[in-house]
This record gives sequence, C-alpha cells and structure tokens, in this order.
Amino acid sequence: MQEFFDAINWAVIAPVLVIQGILIIIAMIDWAKADNTNGPKWMWFFIIIFVNIFGPILYFIFGRSQR
Amino acid sequence: MQWSTLFKKEMLENWHNKKWIWVPLVIILIAILDPISNYYLPQIIESVGGVPDGTVIELPEFTPAEVVMMSLGQFSSLGVLIIVLMSMGTIAGERKSGVSELILVKPVSFKNYITAKWAALLVIVWGSLFIGMLASWYYTNLLYGELSLTALLQIVFFYGLWFMLVISLSIFYNTLFKTPGLVAFLTIITIMLMSVITQVFAHVLEWSPNNLSSHIFEMLMTDSIPSDLIGSAIVTIAISIILVAASILTFKNKELAE
Repeated sequence: MQEFFDAINWAVIAPVLVIQGILIIIAMIDWAKADNTNGPKWMWFFIIIFVNIFGPILYFIFGRSQR
Repeated sequence: MQWSTLFKKEMLENWHNKKWIWVPLVIILIAILDPISNYYLPQIIESVGGVPDGTVIELPEFTPAEVVMMSLGQFSSLGVLIIVLMSMGTIAGERKSGVSELILVKPVSFKNYITAKWAALLVIVWGSLFIGMLASWYYTNLLYGELSLTALLQIVFFYGLWFMLVISLSIFYNTLFKTPGLVAFLTIITIMLMSVITQVFAHVLEWSPNNLSSHIFEMLMTDSIPSDLIGSAIVTIAISIILVAASILTFKNKELAE
C-alpha cells in the first residue's frame, strides 16, 4: 500500500519538477548567451539557480536587456 | 500582406526572447498549483504536525468544477500579473530603445503595427491558457473526478476573453507611456478598479468582464451556457475592440506629434 502511494505521489509531483528544470535550463542558456543584462550579470546567475520557481521568471521579465 | 509580415516579425521576436517557452510553462505551474496542493493538504497538515492524536481532519471534497475554479482564481491574480509584466514593454520598450522608429520610418500603417502586436500577444496568451488548463484538466481527472473536454474548451474560450481584455489594456497604456513599469502599474490599477466597481455596483453590472469567471462557474454547475456569460463575453469583446481602436488613435497622434 505504501509503495502504491509513493508511485502515485511521483506521477503527480514529477511534472512540476520537470517544468521547473526546463525553466532553469532555458534561463541559463539565455543568460550564458546574453552580452549584458539589466544589473550585474553574475547576480542573475544566483537568482536563476537559487530562487525557487520564481528565479527564472524574474530573469525573463526583468533581467533580459532589450537587444 | 503588410500585416502578416509584421505579425510574423512579432511571432519570431517572441520566440527569440523565449516568451514562447516560459509563458506557457509558468501558466502551467500556476494552473496546477492549487489542484495539487489541495489534494495533498491532509498529508501536509499531518507532516507539519501540531495536531493532537486521534484528530480526524475533515476536509471538503472538491468537485471537478470547484477545482477548475481554483485554477481560474490563480489565473486572475498571478496569471494576470505575468501577462501584464510580459506585455509591459511590447511597444513602450521599443519606443524607448528607438526600434519602433526604425519600423515606422517605413510606410507601415499604425493600425497594422498595433494590431499585429496585439494579435501576437493574444496567440501566446490563449495558447498558454489552453496548455495550462489542459494540465489542470489532467490533474482534475486524475485526482478529483471527470470533467468533459467540451467544458474545458468552453472554459478556455471564455476565460481567454478576460486575458484578451488585459492585453488590450496593456497595449493601450503602452501607446500612452514610454516607461514599461508605468504601463504595468497602470494596467494592474485599472484591473483592480474595475473589480471594485463591479463589486460595488454588482446589481447593475451583471455583464461586467470581471464576472466572467463566476459565470463560468455557473456554466459548469448547470451544464449550460448562461445568458449572463454571453453578455459578459460580448461586453468584454466590445471593450477590447474600443481599447485597441483607442490605442491606434493615441499612437498615431503621439508619433505624429514627435
């Protein structure tokens, strides 16, 4: 019974982790390619990596500089 | 012809600045946040502790319709915020950096410029809403109970109208001001004002756009499309069209004045 519950649990939680992972990866690729960002570049690295869920979003909204 | 070129340019740009990737993903997260956390609430309470032994926690059983409304409730706050922040610089930013001047030096009509931007945003937002609700629908069926596909499509269509209004508002402020932050601020303030007005004059403003989600709930409960929902939808579409028309006018005047 316990094992059964664990299995269900992962099927539910895994997509959330996957989405968060994709967000971090895409943000990191974009960050690495960017010539300059709004504010110091290294700061955005820590925000993307360490701020849960919201880090990559914050980077996409505020960190990317226009062109 | 010119319009489709501008539209394609917008779509390409939204791909380059990764909006096509992060907006749908964030909308999915927002959509599934509440269905999952409510489902695991008993376990969460248990693991946090502080409950005396033998306490039986009675939590309400949610119907699929209520779960969908949870997702819509999150959309109304976090979702709107994301859309406003995503669209705040779409014209204002271009004018600040001078890109819009590069485009408008060519014989591009203001109408095409504005409506292409509006349509490109609309496609992203409606697409993301569809994907997000699909995820929410998956969890609803998995954890709570059956919800028909038709109901889902109806929800996406009618709630998408609300997002369309948000975009139109944002575009409108974009043509008025050059500072993206100010655009976002004013858009959110306007939406809050609209909701206050709707609540104060609830008895006369039955067709207010802010009532869309409560009418959608009614639709799910009664399994038919209430006439108030149609009314709200028409009002929302009308306001959006007026806002876009006003945007074109103000933009024309601003650009010619400069």
